[in-house]
Amino acid sequence: MLDAEARVRGEVAYAVDLELPDMLVAAVLRSPIPHGRIVELEASEAISLPGVVAVLTAADFDRPGGPSLLYGAIIPDQPVVAKDRVRYVGEPVAVVAAVDHAAAQAALAAIQVEYEEEPATYDPLQAMNSGAPAIHADHPDNLFVHGKLRHGDVDRGFGEADEVIEETYTSPLAQQASLEPHTAVARWQADRLTIWTGAQAPYTVRGALQRIFGVQPEDVRVIVPPLGGGFGGKGHVRIEPLVAAVARKTGGRPVKLSLSRAEEFATVTKHPVVIKIKTGFRRDGSLTARQVTLYWGGGAYADASPGLIRASVPRAVGPYRISAVQVDAFGVYTNLPPSAAYRGAMSSQTTWAYESHMDSIAARLGIDPLEFRERNMLHSGESFCTGETMHDVHFSECLRAAAAGLGWDRPKTRDSGRLCRGRGLAVMMKSTIPRSVSECRLALDADGVLTLYTSTVEMGQGAHTALAQIASEAVGVELEKVRIVGPDTAVTPYDATTSASRSTSMMGGAILDAAERLKDRLREAAAPIVEVEPTALVIAGGEIYDPASAEDRLSYAETLERSDLKSIEVAGKHSSQGGLDPETGQGVATPHWHQGAGACEVEVDIETGKVRVLRYHSASFAGRVVNPSLARLQNDGNVIFGMGPALLEEMAFDQGQPVNPNLSDYMLPSILDAPEELGSELLESEAAEFHGIGEMTLPPVAPAIANAVFDAVGVRIRDLPITSERVLRAIKEGPSG
Amino acid sequence: MSAEFTRPESIEAAVEALGEAGDEGKLIAGGTALALMLRQRLIAPAVLISLDGIQRLTGVSSSADDIRIGAMTRLRQVEASPEVRRAIPALAAACGEVGNVRVRNQATLGGNLAEADYASDPPTVLLALDASVRAVSPAGERQIRLSDFFQGFYTTALGSGEILTEILIPRRPGTRRTAYVKYRSRSSEDRPCVGVAAVAAFEDGVCSELGVAVGAACETPRRIADVEALAVGQPLGESVIRDIAEGYADGIETLEDLRGSSWYRTEMIRVFVRRALEEVASVGR
Repeated sequence: MLDAEARVRGEVAYAVDLELPDMLVAAVLRSPIPHGRIVELEASEAISLPGVVAVLTAADFDRPGGPSLLYGAIIPDQPVVAKDRVRYVGEPVAVVAAVDHAAAQAALAAIQVEYEEEPATYDPLQAMNSGAPAIHADHPDNLFVHGKLRHGDVDRGFGEADEVIEETYTSPLAQQASLEPHTAVARWQADRLTIWTGAQAPYTVRGALQRIFGVQPEDVRVIVPPLGGGFGGKGHVRIEPLVAAVARKTGGRPVKLSLSRAEEFATVTKHPVVIKIKTGFRRDGSLTARQVTLYWGGGAYADASPGLIRASVPRAVGPYRISAVQVDAFGVYTNLPPSAAYRGAMSSQTTWAYESHMDSIAARLGIDPLEFRERNMLHSGESFCTGETMHDVHFSECLRAAAAGLGWDRPKTRDSGRLCRGRGLAVMMKSTIPRSVSECRLALDADGVLTLYTSTVEMGQGAHTALAQIASEAVGVELEKVRIVGPDTAVTPYDATTSASRSTSMMGGAILDAAERLKDRLREAAAPIVEVEPTALVIAGGEIYDPASAEDRLSYAETLERSDLKSIEVAGKHSSQGGLDPETGQGVATPHWHQGAGACEVEVDIETGKVRVLRYHSASFAGRVVNPSLARLQNDGNVIFGMGPALLEEMAFDQGQPVNPNLSDYMLPSILDAPEELGSELLESEAAEFHGIGEMTLPPVAPAIANAVFDAVGVRIRDLPITSERVLRAIKEGPSG
Repeated sequence: MSAEFTRPESIEAAVEALGEAGDEGKLIAGGTALALMLRQRLIAPAVLISLDGIQRLTGVSSSADDIRIGAMTRLRQVEASPEVRRAIPALAAACGEVGNVRVRNQATLGGNLAEADYASDPPTVLLALDASVRAVSPAGERQIRLSDFFQGFYTTALGSGEILTEILIPRRPGTRRTAYVKYRSRSSEDRPCVGVAAVAAFEDGVCSELGVAVGAACETPRRIADVEALAVGQPLGESVIRDIAEGYADGIETLEDLRGSSWYRTEMIRVFVRRALEEVASVGR
């Protein structure tokens, strides 16, 4: 990684490190109740306190020339601060800006709010019931999206089956848990806003702020320093409207808002879901029909959920040949914090269901789980249930690589007393974003330095390193001569988002495009010097020459100097196509498929139910590996990361009140929990394009572990996380099938 | 809102500072728990009185009657103390299982006891060892048996002006075997779901004395004298071990938290009392 030393030394400056002259700190007053009316809000005393510069409430919005209260990625249902009604514990009600934290806290204490509590609803299935309280008046059934896929005749498929298995799987509300909490600094100068924020999608933030404040795109400048982790939680607008709106009232003084861990838990979460999955199969192991119904809890506001829940539809089926498929994905409002993408978005939950379910079927048929999957696996050239033809897919190779790493064909390790061992595997397919655009600029100067202007966000994943390598190789400039100018909407061109493992692929594609244009410009510049047509010139190894007189070579620097150019700057662009019909789910789900697999061996203590992952082998399809060591770290990191939601992580609530909003009660895996044997394979194929690898080996972790637990002790766990207590209860209840 | 910070250099000065601050004062030892409470705004003392400057409060000493550990001795120092490791290895083990090495280098044994967090390791072992603590206040000094010390969640017998200065662990004649088994139901750095300490003395293979304490599964660490007595006068065999494990599982009202339900805690008491006893029995044979 290019900045590895700075990272190890703690020298990387995050948003939280930013200090500006005269900067104020913001603090947020939050709802103490899960659902109810704001009867009265009195903030006049707070503003008169010493050190308090501004107080923001809903009264500041929707006035002539003022900001708009409501915003939302797809449905504008979320107020910047609550007006009249609160919908979850922790929802912002007022924001203060003050000279220091003590003054800000005193101001919050001086704001009087009277609430009238109303019935609340927390579970997506219950929230859809007719008796449940409506969280938004215009959605009486709390349903905000219904994604569909219709392929073939499922009734006929189930009728043709020898047997049908139906199961219900759940995955709870959880945390992205970036080490760096959301932080943003906003400053207004005249009517122009500059905001420094830890966000994965700078242009999405710009668009939202522009709409809220009714200004032109160029009047909002979003600058993104390196992030201390994102994992989807920083993928859309979060705290930026709060801090920008309060900063508008400080007479130009900048304001910083940095969330505490408890506030972080009230700001963004991983979607909880209930997944009903039903499959018909024949005795030979072939699949005749599959029906999947997903009930996604969206929390109090839709945020990016409508798009994510639609994207969950093709991600809910699995990489298998099934003649009839029906998927229904419902997005449901609840009185909990809004949910958002979580690394391996939606696939982290859907893979849990379909890969556990596949083992249930294999067990019923008495077929080895690897063999059973192999019989049904989709290969390139075959058709998926979206109607699209699969290309460049290697699910089978990924799964076999993981299984081979573990030694699937070797005899099982024997149990010793109370410790029972078992093995399990899983594979996943995930779409990336179909219609999206990445742009970049490349500038080559007369010193031979190549500068890449990119809005790709560096969040510790090494994106800037990989992009610099791609630029270096494509242009033919040493890596040491490549500079990166990171996200700043006043400087770096448009990029949709740093998420969905798209940066190496999409921004990498934009860089390749720009590199070709840059080389065209170099040929044009060199042509008069060499006195041949530009098209006759060859560029290789950072030099330009006419193949007819290959000994006369021009360096880039020399070319620029002799052309009297200080620099050459070009733009590059890469876009993806596709999209699915909202009623049938037919079309093209993705420009390419994300592919990953895992296989593991676990040990279960039958007296306590405690699961220990002894060995884990993962594999993903990378297309072309750019940086082997960073790519491997993504595979390994995903496995350890994935052990959290598999075994430990769950946000707990008591009547809407958070029970564990801190990192000592909310349990992340410790490095001591990592498997002693951790193997990783990165599959490539000749002439393949770049594939993202940031998420591929995460979704298989939970089902691979659950399948291994089943193999060890004969019980099927269907609710995440796979806690010791759940396993022990299941063991005491007896083997499940 | 920020607290005044003082760092007295003698016990007397600390007692005086605490007396002056009254209810507004909080003692800070290692600070690993207190700093979290401050950050989460669970407490907001006006005065923080650090015990860090009082040399006399740190260290392990021993006499023929007891082993004494200063209240400000870091858990890591207890874990590494040759005296503790020789005489009461289970206490060294329990201190070595707390949190992670960064916490252990900072947290103190006295602070750990005074906080009285139920999800903790050292109190369970110390209770099984019949330990007591010494506390100093303007009224003088007193010794409190650990069985009287823990009174409930985060509640101890310490008075508001009292400072815990020392932990005393009595020596017993003959050879004792000690074991501490910590069960983490979640990650490897989690607090205990259940902790069990066992202390047994044997004469000619016959158990002459048994102490078993169960912690983290209930409000305060618990011993059950009637059940302990089942072992006395016979070898610590399989069936008596099972009876004692049952006795503890039946006799303790367990609590419920994110580490496990009340039902699960009871099951784990049964398992880990047995495992702790098997450990002392196997080395005792």
